[in-house]
Amino acid sequence: MSNPLSDLEKADVYFCIGTNMTECHPVAATRMKKALARGSKLIVADPRYIKLAEMADLYLPLRVGTDVALLLGMAHVIIREDLLDHKFIAERTTGIEEYIAHVKQFAPEWASEITGVPLKDIEKAAMMYASADKASIYYTLGITEHICGVDNVQSLSNLALITGHLGREGCGINPLRGQNNIQGAGDAGTAPSDYPGYQSVLKPENREKFSKAYGREMDAEKGITKVTALELCGEGIHAMLIDGENTVVSDPDRAHCEHALKKLDFLVVIDIFLTETAGLADVVLPASAWGETDGTYTNTERRIQRVRAAVTPPGEAKPDWWILSALANTMGIQGFEYDSPADVFNEICSLAPIYAGVDWDLIDGGQYQWPIPYKGHPGTPRLHEDGFSNGRAILRSIGYRDPAEVVDDEFPVWLTTGRRLQNYHTRTQTGRAEGIEYLAPEEYLEVHPDNVQKWGLTDGGWAKITSRRGEIKIKVKATPRSPRGTVFASFSFADTPVNILTGSGYDPTTHTAEMKVCTVRVEPL
Amino acid sequence: MALLQELRGLPLINSGVKKTRTVCGYCGVGCSVDILSKDDRIIGVQPAMDGPANLGALCVKGQFAYDYVHHPDRLTKPLVRREDGKLHETTWEEALQVAADGFRNVEQKYGRHAIYGVSSGRTPTEADYLMQKFIRAGFGTHNIDNCSRA
Repeated sequence: MSNPLSDLEKADVYFCIGTNMTECHPVAATRMKKALARGSKLIVADPRYIKLAEMADLYLPLRVGTDVALLLGMAHVIIREDLLDHKFIAERTTGIEEYIAHVKQFAPEWASEITGVPLKDIEKAAMMYASADKASIYYTLGITEHICGVDNVQSLSNLALITGHLGREGCGINPLRGQNNIQGAGDAGTAPSDYPGYQSVLKPENREKFSKAYGREMDAEKGITKVTALELCGEGIHAMLIDGENTVVSDPDRAHCEHALKKLDFLVVIDIFLTETAGLADVVLPASAWGETDGTYTNTERRIQRVRAAVTPPGEAKPDWWILSALANTMGIQGFEYDSPADVFNEICSLAPIYAGVDWDLIDGGQYQWPIPYKGHPGTPRLHEDGFSNGRAILRSIGYRDPAEVVDDEFPVWLTTGRRLQNYHTRTQTGRAEGIEYLAPEEYLEVHPDNVQKWGLTDGGWAKITSRRGEIKIKVKATPRSPRGTVFASFSFADTPVNILTGSGYDPTTHTAEMKVCTVRVEPL
Repeated sequence: MALLQELRGLPLINSGVKKTRTVCGYCGVGCSVDILSKDDRIIGVQPAMDGPANLGALCVKGQFAYDYVHHPDRLTKPLVRREDGKLHETTWEEALQVAADGFRNVEQKYGRHAIYGVSSGRTPTEADYLMQKFIRAGFGTHNIDNCSRA
């Protein structure tokens, strides 16, 4: 997020797109609700009439996968009505002439045709967002889990740049991160392109720095992404170490994923349960869980916070840092002589400039948001206040593309997937919590009541969904939350493995899967 | 319903309850919570009123979905796959040796780029850091990723 969570209470207009905030980030939603109660306005763009949509002043029911078209239409209106922030554009951006010429080709009438959103609502949304003093954008995986995920994010960035809604309180571009420490995982350098602290592996100075720190020559070129690695299992990739990820259930195209892991010569999994993925391993190492481990998480607003052990792990389960150090030491890999997570954290601070101003003893109160470039620096709750770190922001000309699959006679229904309030991901944790079992014991397919009737289904009855990759059986729930022609399910339940159906395509830049769109056939059972 | 019968707030007034300030382990908002534990078991979770991200708020998962920590399915010993094709409990020493030999064998047979690491967005940052260091310092490659693409 460019802005701190406290800014969730400070905008005049909120533009939430592709985020089911009340279910997936309920506490963040609570903070926004306070502002709405004081009169701030909410625009929600989502294919489903989710709870957030019910709260909206303006709801834009766009067809799945058409975000770029909607955002182009909005940009067109902002330019047409001259709601641009000319000072911000002149001082902090580049490429405005080309951008305007590009956007002028895409009238809101065109956007309305593609997205299914009424023309007047596209115009109203554009004017509400652009004319507000403080307007902020919030999004999650509804924006990124598409073949055009990068285009979607850049389209949002363009809107913020041309209206100057960046680098100020109550503004910004704010992706809410889905996992407790997915931000920290990125900060720590678990990426094929970056060393810790987002230092590119392609820069010679970084290569020199880490070759020296780690006592061996680092490759000059990037590694491969997980998506590519799974494709190469058995032909290039022959061993994997997986820590705390139930790849088989969480990743798209489950059959492909399971098949890939089985082709490895050797698989080691570190986890707290014998997950579907751990069940395929040659060696399973038992880890300590939340509540049993000391360390740090970094949240969605880049805040570094301490986590603390309250109870001891069961049996011989150990913290991940201990397991990885012991494994490295057994293999004779140098530099793993750690006595505590504090040692590890302090090493990160010594190598990642965004953490340079803190150490283990300074983060006890959780008051630091990175970047913290030097000791004594207070941290950076709000990014881009004084400028962009790489000079001027580029306004990119983005075009619209259809999703990887488009409905046809054989697969006439759109399927979109997501999460529900009560369950988390593949339920390795929430599936083992008694109260959650009571609240949300099974998965169901959300279908518009008109479609239930038209397709010969019954509310509460069973249906078969088929995609190009497989089929599953699932209970039907009639609900106007789903638009006509689009159905929804979460992927949380292993016995209703929705990810057998997904996996139609990937974003070419990030290799993020298009989890939010695929086409299916729905038949009564 | 067991949830109500247990009256989770009740042990608060009992003695011997320990409070540990930590951060919720579910989504990325990072709500501060106090774990209430007694006799080395978690008996409750309370939102922290002074938590910078949540200011006292907490959702249904953070507040109630903690019993998995003490679930009987938890792994308590390392497991290795033996010749019968099944996973068997073993010592740390053996499991680490089998793991180390397995990676070295693959490295020898196919080269250092044949090994891949998948890290987690759920584990602490220190675990992620050591995962990437294991791959980078161990093999000199950048064959490491996390689950943010899924």
